[in-house]
Amino acid sequence: MTTAIAFDLIGYLFIASSAVALYRVLWGPTIPDRLLGLNVVSAQILAIIVLYAAKEKLHVYLDVALVYDIFGFVGILALTRFLGKRQRKGNPI
Amino acid sequence: MIELLVYLFLFLALVFNLMGLIGILLFPDPYTRLQASSTCSTTAVVSVFIAVMIDAGLSAITGKVFVITLFFFVSSPVGAHIIAHYAWNMGIVPWRKLRKSRPEDSSHG
Amino acid sequence: MRVPFKMKASFKWKLVRILFTTVWLFGGWLLYTGSFEPVSLGLGVVASFLVAIATYDLFIAEHEAAKKGLLVRIHYGILYLLYLLAQMYLSSFAVLFNILRGNINPRIVHFRTRLHSDLARALLATSITLTPGTIAIDLQEDHLIVHWLDAKTTHSKYAGTLIKGKMETLLSRVFL
Repeated sequence: MTTAIAFDLIGYLFIASSAVALYRVLWGPTIPDRLLGLNVVSAQILAIIVLYAAKEKLHVYLDVALVYDIFGFVGILALTRFLGKRQRKGNPI
Repeated sequence: MIELLVYLFLFLALVFNLMGLIGILLFPDPYTRLQASSTCSTTAVVSVFIAVMIDAGLSAITGKVFVITLFFFVSSPVGAHIIAHYAWNMGIVPWRKLRKSRPEDSSHG
Repeated sequence: MRVPFKMKASFKWKLVRILFTTVWLFGGWLLYTGSFEPVSLGLGVVASFLVAIATYDLFIAEHEAAKKGLLVRIHYGILYLLYLLAQMYLSSFAVLFNILRGNINPRIVHFRTRLHSDLARALLATSITLTPGTIAIDLQEDHLIVHWLDAKTTHSKYAGTLIKGKMETLLSRVFL
């Protein structure tokens, strides 16, 4: 299969871009910036898992990818709920 | 022919990913960065999914990736909406382009 | 004489809601296990029924139960998905040129939607957020607040027709 090489290259690109998106997580001026960076990183890693599963023809990785998708979403939800509650109490963030 | 389609979608993923990253790094406020990240994290990832589905043909991988795509169609915009709603409730004022010709326009709203 | 009748009706609607949730969950089970062995099918029915008893109240709200808005026309659903995909790529290219030129004009716009059921409204807000360039910030009843990256107008009705496009009419046809 010749597409395997292309899958590999796009996978490396996604790894590099998730590293760039970590800039927003670490140095984002506000909290929504950090959450946005986390959202981007979780989506890119989902794509990497799917690419790897398609390259190696491993079905198990796709189950992992589905659960990873759900947990990334639930993680963002939990973080915003937690931070919103802290904000309503009046604590500094 | 089919491989050409796969390469086309992978190329689209590459372009959208790079442009989205540039947008994330350069845009001025969280809302606009969120807009840029939706090209980077939604369109690029969906392009990758479509490329994988075309490449796998009619097999079990295609069905599972299709289910993942449907989940992603729900989970990614809802995540972006949650972040935007949180920023809105936090009281972050959206950035607006200043017009030099009409200075009274930038004072209200 | 009226009270037992009312209780019976509510019980009937509860049963309908539980069954509907079970069918949806079992569809997900079939799609994801992908096997048609009797043991797997039986386990799926039992598991989705148990989960449906626990979660039917979250899945279908009580005032939504009597409406027909939960049934889906399949062919219009597929058409909607394809239209959404095309719209996603088109507006991605628009955002891409905005990023390249560095020329953005972000605004907050408010508009209303004509859709009635909660599910259809939530789907409309999700579709607006999925297409790059627009993000739905808030949804109160039928009132949407949208952040628009490259605003062409701030007039409420005109912005509504520009952002929603054909999505609203298609969605009103998807649900019965």
